Amino acid sequence: MSVHDFWTPFALEPFISALIIGLSLASIWLVAALGLTIIYGTMGVINMAHGEFIMLGAYITWVLQYFLGFPWLLCLPISFVIVAFIGWLVERGLIRHLYDRPLDTLLATWGVSLVFIQSIRLIFGGEPQYIDTPEFLSNVVQIGFLNIPSMRIFIFGMALVLVGLTWALLYKSNFGIQVRSVMQNPQMAASFVINSSRVYGLTFAYGAGLAGISGSMFSGLKTIFPDMGLGYVVEAFLVVVTGGGELFGSLATAGIMGEMFSVFSYFTNDTFARFVLFVLIVIFLRFRPQGIFTPSMARR
Amino acid sequence: MHKTNLYHDKRAQWAVYAIFFGVLALLPVWMGDDPFTLNQYARYGVFGILALSVSLVWGFGGILSLGQGIAFGMAAYGMAATMQMQYQDPVNDPIPSFMLTNELTALPTVWEPFWNTSVGLILSMGIPVLFFTIFGILIFQARLAGAFVAIMTLAMLGAWYNMAYDMQPFTAGFNGISPPSAFKAFGVEVDPYSSMIYWVSLGVLAALTVSTKLLLQSKFGTIIQAIRDDAERARFLGYNVAFYQVVVFALGGLIAALGGMVWVIIVQYVSPTALEIFFSITIVIWAAVGGRMSLFGAIFGAIFINAAQSYVGDEFQATWFIILGTIFIVVVRFLPKGLAGLFEYAISFVPNPLPAPRTSVNSDIAK
Amino acid sequence: MRVSRRNFVKGAAVGAAGVAAAFPQLYIKDHGQAWGAKPWIYKDGNVKVGLLWSQTGNLSVVENDSTQVSLFAIDKLNAEGGIAGKQIEPVVVDAKSDIKVYSEKMTQLILRDRVATVHGSYTSASRRAVMPIIMKWNHLYYYPTCYEGRECMQNIINTGPLANQHSYDLVPYMVKNFGPKVYLVGSNYIWPKESNKNVKVWLERAGGEVVGEDYVPLGGSEFSPVFNKIRQQEPDWIMSTVVGDSDIALHRQFLQEGFKSDKMPIAALTTGEIETAAMGHEAGAGHFLSAPYFQDLKNPTNEWFVDAYLSSQYGGGGVTHYNMEETYLGILIWKKGVERALEEAGGDWEAITPRMIRDVSGNWNGQGPVGLSDEESPEGKVWIDPDNFNIWLKPKIGQCGSNGQFTIVKEAPEHVGPDPFAIYPERGVCKADGLHKPDGTIQKDVL
Repeated sequence: MSVHDFWTPFALEPFISALIIGLSLASIWLVAALGLTIIYGTMGVINMAHGEFIMLGAYITWVLQYFLGFPWLLCLPISFVIVAFIGWLVERGLIRHLYDRPLDTLLATWGVSLVFIQSIRLIFGGEPQYIDTPEFLSNVVQIGFLNIPSMRIFIFGMALVLVGLTWALLYKSNFGIQVRSVMQNPQMAASFVINSSRVYGLTFAYGAGLAGISGSMFSGLKTIFPDMGLGYVVEAFLVVVTGGGELFGSLATAGIMGEMFSVFSYFTNDTFARFVLFVLIVIFLRFRPQGIFTPSMARR
Repeated sequence: MHKTNLYHDKRAQWAVYAIFFGVLALLPVWMGDDPFTLNQYARYGVFGILALSVSLVWGFGGILSLGQGIAFGMAAYGMAATMQMQYQDPVNDPIPSFMLTNELTALPTVWEPFWNTSVGLILSMGIPVLFFTIFGILIFQARLAGAFVAIMTLAMLGAWYNMAYDMQPFTAGFNGISPPSAFKAFGVEVDPYSSMIYWVSLGVLAALTVSTKLLLQSKFGTIIQAIRDDAERARFLGYNVAFYQVVVFALGGLIAALGGMVWVIIVQYVSPTALEIFFSITIVIWAAVGGRMSLFGAIFGAIFINAAQSYVGDEFQATWFIILGTIFIVVVRFLPKGLAGLFEYAISFVPNPLPAPRTSVNSDIAK
Repeated sequence: MRVSRRNFVKGAAVGAAGVAAAFPQLYIKDHGQAWGAKPWIYKDGNVKVGLLWSQTGNLSVVENDSTQVSLFAIDKLNAEGGIAGKQIEPVVVDAKSDIKVYSEKMTQLILRDRVATVHGSYTSASRRAVMPIIMKWNHLYYYPTCYEGRECMQNIINTGPLANQHSYDLVPYMVKNFGPKVYLVGSNYIWPKESNKNVKVWLERAGGEVVGEDYVPLGGSEFSPVFNKIRQQEPDWIMSTVVGDSDIALHRQFLQEGFKSDKMPIAALTTGEIETAAMGHEAGAGHFLSAPYFQDLKNPTNEWFVDAYLSSQYGGGGVTHYNMEETYLGILIWKKGVERALEEAGGDWEAITPRMIRDVSGNWNGQGPVGLSDEESPEGKVWIDPDNFNIWLKPKIGQCGSNGQFTIVKEAPEHVGPDPFAIYPERGVCKADGLHKPDGTIQKDVL
């Protein structure tokens, strides 16, 4: 292996393109991590089945389009609702019994993910599937020397919209006040007649729903297959934990990770970029375990 | 003098170990020379070793490591390199075939030490332990715990997995290394289809279990369990918590590394799949199902699940993973201490027939 | 109980030594040889054959079809009278897409079920995981997938194209029709890298040049960094050795990035009918594939094969693609090998060993190697190379139409021979008894 094989020399235009791609990657990771941020940030639950919620969202989109002929854009809210409901069931049936054992939720949800993957494989088979996206999302936007697929612009926009909605929900709505009070002190919240069990259930459902909607979006860009969730869940976790379980922490982390990954893989290759990124995250967590923004030491 | 649950009686525990390993030791006599069974049971022994490492680190040390595969995989690569170099000839054929087809014209420096079997064995064991020590210092000096450790070990595992298949000239990439001949050491060839391999695997498992058990019954064991239950309090009592955690973490790495070495002797193959995230979490599942708070339970869990997969897994075909997932959900939800916890509960109804031990303190700490 | 360090060490040592000393088996040589002397095929039993593929897990997408087509082939042979009157009995196991299970099931097939031969594997990793077991028991493995070559083993017969055959015709064709500049994209493992080394050799002959080369992780689905570099380099065509799910993502994102298959087509080695169905016909249309077999091949044998398979109980998958056809060839070729072995053994079934089946499949008694005629093989006449036991075949180039099926645009005029060390002449030549090195020595089991 010579240096030349390993190292791509710098050139301005593709480097700028790489920065744009970094934004696109960041938005994908952000969308994947958003639901997890809510679930981990508010409930401290490590949901290993998050990737499978994404996968379910993608399959729901595929079923709606392939068998019922729904337009793609309409599938997004529907898969939000269905996956949120599935998430709610998982919370009621399993997660809420494990709140005092956070590490056990990690293992239990891993079991859930096994069941989901294999059930989907049994029902729809293991073959990869695809969906048709609307015409206006299948072309390329040209700005100077930059060529950006409109699908990626759409996902980028949707990422910002979802962050905005989640922010409004958490910080501007009555429900958000309840969530944050339960998060800070469940006993105190209970004395203000906040039903923390209900709040947890709805929060988890919302987080799962976000995963569902991200699955719908990814179905337009990537391949749909039963194992697809595994490809998102580890990155999503790194975004969430590095971001400290905070909404804007995740936003910033996804941005930085996306850019770093894109730049590294521009100069070297995907695999090596991944290695560097993972190691950097481990080192970062060593020095700032509380995450990127949170000032205080929040250990679990 | 109160009588404790027989489950917590140390004498009963040692008796169970003696019977368990005694029966296992007699198995080859009973089943004769069936090479398939010997080979398969030797594999189960390695799974038991891995579950043992999880039990020590997680069940007793309170550290959920999803990265046991790092030690397993590193040691497996070390062992594969050692076995590959045993096959190579220093004069006529000094470079493994896969390297020659990857643009290497000389043996890489990192492979040189593996010419010597003893050095190879020491490196296979030593490098994972060294890595776990450094990684442990990194984590535990920062007083990280719980989910952070789980996620950091997961990320580190992912990093090594990527490295193992990207560094194709050194690791043969995704295809993996398959040393063509059996492992030879000190004049003995360890045939992976003989009672020898069964003995190696069972011997390592038994020795590690007994050592771990003795360690847990020592003062050190009491301290790490105190740290597991409340790290802050242990720190106030003046214990260097990070030190103890690093030692437990590194010992867990050592156990998993020995598992990796025995594994490669059995299967003569290593590939990046040893470093897969799925596999490392599966190890934790075995220990959790059997009971992470019990060394014996964890080992039993590993053997039980794998034997079930070998013998009834094919019957269930596609539903096997659903069954596995469901078992797992049920165990975590209802039996946090695993099957061992169920047994502990059941046996509490049986009066302890043994006379009370002379010193009954601590008996429920050193489980 | 306080345990001092000394007691601790002593206890551990005594425990281990006690366990070891009590049992003499540890020192007694294993009786494996006597055990191995039992016959593989019994006079009054069936001929057992192992099928080692994954019925579950992510590899099952491809490997389930391999099992089905093998069962189909075995049914066909049994209906025609089996092998010299003996029925073939398949032993199907499920490797669960797990390398550890491949290795365990292989020992089970050989040692427990005592099959005469094993057919199996789709990935090189699983092949290499089982090879030490095969070699140890001097058994026989049929591997029906395209692979990188550069191995010279005495217990394996391969019925898929090697790296040196696969792109042999494709590269000159693409250079002639689209231009000299090519960008190589592959999954990050050995087969794509090895294939691309061969591609570079053919490119040099055809007067083409490589303008870029990139490998993405297996299973990776993010190709925008790659397309960024492709846009910068402006190649005339793309050579893809991306496999599996990633391949689908590559073709989908090719469209989304605004590239057109008539301007800059992708020439692939594995994008077959299954993949084009999974990526959508729109994404597959216009691209090229080099393979020895296409479902749409127009010849009577293939028409029979497609009809018979799809209408049989095994044809639920709805397609026959190159990998399935190569698997089918493997079973047919194996049957011929067993017939020869029976003759070699003087009609004594119990004298046949797996290794004997392999050896007589080469140049035996001056009859030449075993092969299949145009009437037997859907892809046309093929035969086993008597030296390296890979297969002689005619690579064909197909262009994917808007229906997901391929139109043959070129068929190699002559058969192309397999050469596992084609681009490593300094390593030597692979013969039936091992790798003949330039210094005159012969090395067995090079893997």
